[in-house]
Amino acid sequence: MLKFLPYILKTLWRHRARTLLTFSGAAVSLFVFCFVVALQEGLDRLTSQSDSTLVVFQANKFCPATSHLQQDYDQVISKLSGVREVVPIQVFTNNCRASLDVVVFYGVPPKKLRSVRDFELTAGSWAEFETNQDAGVVGQAVARRRKLKPGDRFSIGEVTVTVAGIFASQNKAEENYIYTHLEFLQRTPGLNLVGTVTQHEVVLDPSADPSHVAAQIDERFRGGPIQTDTRTKGTFQAASLADLVDLIGLTHYLGYACLGLMAVLILTTNFMSVQDRIREHAVLQTMGFSGELVFSLIMIESVLLSFAGGATGILTAVTVLANAGIAVSAEAVSLALTPSISLAVIGLLLSIAIGVLAGMLPALTAARTEIVPALRAA
Amino acid sequence: MLIEIRNLTKQFRKGDETITPLHDVTLDIDRGEFVSLMGPSGTGKSTLLNQIAGIDRPDSGTVTVAGTEITRLSRSRLARWRAEHVGYIFQTHNLIPVLTAYENVELPLLLLPFDRAERRRRVQIALEAVDLVDRADHYPRQLSGGQEQRVGIARAIVADPTVVVADEPTGDLDPATSEQILDLLQRLNRELGTTLLMVTHDAQAAAIANRQLRLDNGQILEIEHSLESVSSQTERH
Repeated sequence: MLKFLPYILKTLWRHRARTLLTFSGAAVSLFVFCFVVALQEGLDRLTSQSDSTLVVFQANKFCPATSHLQQDYDQVISKLSGVREVVPIQVFTNNCRASLDVVVFYGVPPKKLRSVRDFELTAGSWAEFETNQDAGVVGQAVARRRKLKPGDRFSIGEVTVTVAGIFASQNKAEENYIYTHLEFLQRTPGLNLVGTVTQHEVVLDPSADPSHVAAQIDERFRGGPIQTDTRTKGTFQAASLADLVDLIGLTHYLGYACLGLMAVLILTTNFMSVQDRIREHAVLQTMGFSGELVFSLIMIESVLLSFAGGATGILTAVTVLANAGIAVSAEAVSLALTPSISLAVIGLLLSIAIGVLAGMLPALTAARTEIVPALRAA
Repeated sequence: MLIEIRNLTKQFRKGDETITPLHDVTLDIDRGEFVSLMGPSGTGKSTLLNQIAGIDRPDSGTVTVAGTEITRLSRSRLARWRAEHVGYIFQTHNLIPVLTAYENVELPLLLLPFDRAERRRRVQIALEAVDLVDRADHYPRQLSGGQEQRVGIARAIVADPTVVVADEPTGDLDPATSEQILDLLQRLNRELGTTLLMVTHDAQAAAIANRQLRLDNGQILEIEHSLESVSSQTERH
């Protein structure tokens, strides 16, 4: 088949405007599809996080700005069986609603941060963070979006932080947060939150039953001044993003629509190409090209066009997702859109499948052409 | 006998009317013959040519070429047979516009088990035969009508087919160019021994063949068999 490649490529280049438009359409379709899949993968990563971490929040509160738990609850929780560590966290965000540019501060006791997170500093130093009250370590996605580097000072509302380091994390959603000292955030002018925190993060022993421990925590504070609502971290994040979850469910259809559009586009191009070449295919068959060979040539044209366009869209999407640090946030929980191998592989396989599907009918039409009437046509 | 046609009948439906361009035609063509087939437009000359070239099927009767009864071959085997045994020269050249003269001539060889070097050698010989080596890299749009037809002839002979059929090969050309093309066909027959069957409605063009046939009312009439075939001459020498 390789010896027919010059003919196939020159044929695709013959109507270059049409080919380039179809190529671009396929690229845009797969680009959008990749974003939809990345969104879904991001959500899956967030909601399927290990059950071994619980989040204790104030009952019947949904926005971090309205959840105020006693900081000393950590003393009570840490005594429960199955609890390995309790981290009190104060959350501050510039926007509780769904947005593409939310800045979320997590105030934690500085000594505990490295034990409960897998962060790796790509710039700056931990010592700088731990010794300076107003220091913060910034996730690299935020740093990229806000063009921050160690030593910079920046403010969101009343919070002004000095960047002590930039961190990377296996959990890409974490790269959209800024971690500061707990006390620093509690003392933010106008908040006056000393002694209270937004939530407690509870790290469990591997053998502990998360639902049992969660029930124990809520039971312990039932009837107290502030009741709690304890859930696994995945469930808590899914609940925080509840509105977005439905929306992301809907984007599935947008993804399928993109693929359908691409298939129709390539099918149309293939049909036009075959209609233009009725006589040419008859000449080829007169020379001895079999119907099967003509079928294969058109299928290869279709798959090449679909694959090239699709691969370009995927490559562009992967590049953008890897470098732009895009995240959707709501209720101080961020959903990171990141590229993945599975995303690229699924995209490439779909490109090939669409090429095959969209090529089938035009190729069959050309292969079944009766030579003599086709030679007389046009 | 190279080509044996027996009791060939072909009918078409045109509205309510049934047209019978070939009615019980029987014809033999020997190896190395140059046969012209004349007749007014619409008398079935091209229909007969297409039966011999294996691109159309009769309603009844048989066509046997070099011992193969091609009317019995399946569609895909017939395609394979055409690749190996038939060279077709079209009236309107029908070159592939996106391919150079070289690539157009090479196209039939891609179907046969030749490596790149052998293909190059054969294309070179075919282009030399039609005197177009210097136009090998030109695209059809860069060639004159006569040059295009010569490329079409090179494409038809490049695989050294058993029979070359030409459907009104000078129909689209001016008189001077037509003469060059007819000379070329005559030279191919005389020098290479190519068996040629040419359909034309031009009596002058038909006269260059060593055997002239006329198709009338679905029947073949032999007008003249003035010269001996190349194979007969070869055998004698």
